[in-house]
Amino acid sequence: MDKFLNEYLEQVEKCLKPLAVSERIDIVKEIKSEMVELQSEGKTAEEIIERLGKPKELAKAYLGDLISQNNYFSWNRVLAVCAFYSLAGFSGLFVIPTLGIVAPVFIFCAIITPILGAIKLIDSLVNLGFPYASYIGFATITNPLAVFVLSILTGVVLYLIGRGSWKLLIYYIKAISKTKRHLSV
Amino acid sequence: MNVDDWKSQIKRGTLEFCILLMISKKPHYGYEIINELDSWSILAAKESTIYPLLRRLMKDDFLSSFWQETSEGLPPRKYYTITDKGKEYLAAMTEEWNNLLAAIEGIKGGKNNGQIFE
Repeated sequence: MDKFLNEYLEQVEKCLKPLAVSERIDIVKEIKSEMVELQSEGKTAEEIIERLGKPKELAKAYLGDLISQNNYFSWNRVLAVCAFYSLAGFSGLFVIPTLGIVAPVFIFCAIITPILGAIKLIDSLVNLGFPYASYIGFATITNPLAVFVLSILTGVVLYLIGRGSWKLLIYYIKAISKTKRHLSV
Repeated sequence: MNVDDWKSQIKRGTLEFCILLMISKKPHYGYEIINELDSWSILAAKESTIYPLLRRLMKDDFLSSFWQETSEGLPPRKYYTITDKGKEYLAAMTEEWNNLLAAIEGIKGGKNNGQIFE
């Protein structure tokens, strides 16, 4: 059989690692059977490869379907999920939790920072001797008013980062679910 | 007017039904199914859709498969046949499908006897 077609099949098999050996062999055998039949109809190797799509994508389609089955927990499924996400380019496992934590934490800090700045300012005005809020930013600035202004600025920056992370997370989830929908049809 | 999104939803919802319907008439192999579906543009689907779907239907026990040698020097083909559980599933889907069609007809006909409000 054609060298390119064999290479194609090898790549597909590689991407199907999470599946059992017998299943991998069966899948490849089925694809190969269609390839040879297409060839016998006069299609070229390029046409066949174009028709089947990238080997990674084809393998992903098999894995994606495996994940969405209502199976009991199995390590094969965990591996399939990892392979699926790694094939998706990386990071559903990392991007989502990271952004999901970064966004609210930054926004929370964005709120806390000016509040602490305000406390410090009030503290200095009223001389309460509030012990806990101390400015750890720029060492040369001790004027409580300046500190307060800076805390507001810092708060704004933190808020923007938090909101940006949140928007990125939403955008990422939309992009992934579009891919998943694409995958299922 | 772009109805592509809707069309692909319809396809996603009915592909399983159509495939089981085809296989219930006679055993099919993957490439055969793809070609047959191709004759209706709304159902045309690629290998990356059909093969994993067939595999899933098999895992769900609605289909069983066997490899068969071909005579013309082509490699063996994996044929799919419908199981008893598959036939039950198909019957249930057929009933729901008929309900759906009846509902649509009912809505079209309507209590207003087909009057269209201008």
